[in-house]
Amino acid sequence: MNCNEVRQHWNLYHDSEGDAELHFKISEHLDMCADCAQWFSQQSRLEDMIEEKLTPLPADPVLWNQVLGKTGLRKPVRVRSWMWFAGVAASVAAVGMLVLLWQGVSANASDLSKLAASWHQKVLAGQEPDFRPQSDSPDLEVEHYLRKHVAFPVRCPPRKDAGFAVDGAGICKMAGEPAAYLTGRVDEAPVSIFVLSGASLAAFPHQQQALRQEKTHQCREGPYQMVLAVIDRNTVLVIGQTDADRLDRVLRAYGTYPDHH
Amino acid sequence: MRHLEPIHGALESYCRRLLNDLNAVADVLQSAIANAYRDFHLYAEGTDFRAWMFRYVHLQILNCNRKYSRTRHEELPANLAVEDTWQLALDEPLFKVLLDDPEPVLDQCDAIVAQAMQDLAPQERAVFLLQAIGEFTYREIAEILQVPIGTVMSSLARGRLRLRQRLVQYGEEQGLLREE
Repeated sequence: MNCNEVRQHWNLYHDSEGDAELHFKISEHLDMCADCAQWFSQQSRLEDMIEEKLTPLPADPVLWNQVLGKTGLRKPVRVRSWMWFAGVAASVAAVGMLVLLWQGVSANASDLSKLAASWHQKVLAGQEPDFRPQSDSPDLEVEHYLRKHVAFPVRCPPRKDAGFAVDGAGICKMAGEPAAYLTGRVDEAPVSIFVLSGASLAAFPHQQQALRQEKTHQCREGPYQMVLAVIDRNTVLVIGQTDADRLDRVLRAYGTYPDHH
Repeated sequence: MRHLEPIHGALESYCRRLLNDLNAVADVLQSAIANAYRDFHLYAEGTDFRAWMFRYVHLQILNCNRKYSRTRHEELPANLAVEDTWQLALDEPLFKVLLDDPEPVLDQCDAIVAQAMQDLAPQERAVFLLQAIGEFTYREIAEILQVPIGTVMSSLARGRLRLRQRLVQYGEEQGLLREE
């Protein structure tokens, strides 16, 4: 084989394709021809670098949950995918917080949607909730916990109604107003519910104005969709990186759940 | 499900790189998986499930792209024989510079590689991606795409050449490659 013939077969050689005899002949030539050996080596290095740029990214768990859910093959929640999501979310949260800092958080301090998005990001980044239910009835356990810690009644929508699987709860402050939060998932998408007293709405003029015009207010903050309504004199906001219909189902389930208080 | 989970990332990347309509990724995967599930009785346990699944995804991508009917991809002239491809690149002096030191160009051009990939003819892109992302052999690629193995070889050679040409062009435009 001469140099031209050998170089014609670089693809086969690089991909370990073709027959053994061809590989033997090429190897024999490369042992004798320094120019071709260098040319093969450089071509292979360049090809490896290009392929490296195309390395598959980790699968998007939200996308796959949607895909498998619709095909009826939904898998149970797996810790591994959740950990991956938390890792990505941590990065997103870090970037998000930098952006918030840059833009000046104080200027938007009374915007409930921004505050809720910021808090939800912290949850995604791995911030532990104040309380994690342990029993087989996590919704009732969470309600019981919150009843002791906030002055206004907070419910937890049962999973059967909206698919909201609660996994934590706690107390926080939003623009100085006490709020309760519930964390969980709808399918595999992390979703948080924030509940404030009805009077607290006055601290958020933008949302107050929106709820004067519509019963349920939908908005978006960065990657997060949220729905907001006044239910039983409380302000309830549901937020998550999923579609508004799912969040609205959680909100409606919250409103129809019999009050234990 | 146990077969499918390890290849989520590869299937998703293949879709994202090959679909003309990026909003259709979920729909394409969903339809492909539904079809594969419907035909699962045809799958022989022990054979390559990855190749089997990629075949369904590829068919669904073709359907979707056909609907999207984008026509900006034009096939290379049919007379560009595979034997010529390496020589065309070799004749380019700047390509030699790229071969000698590819890092300065490749370190800066993720988007260029992605765009160059989009600019390949559909079959070249499919072959290249199945090789790069799926790590399939030529024979497996031929079976997935239902084309002769010679077509896989020529498509891959052309695809590689065009990617290199695009990199040289980018390197020249950015002043990263200069003739010695």
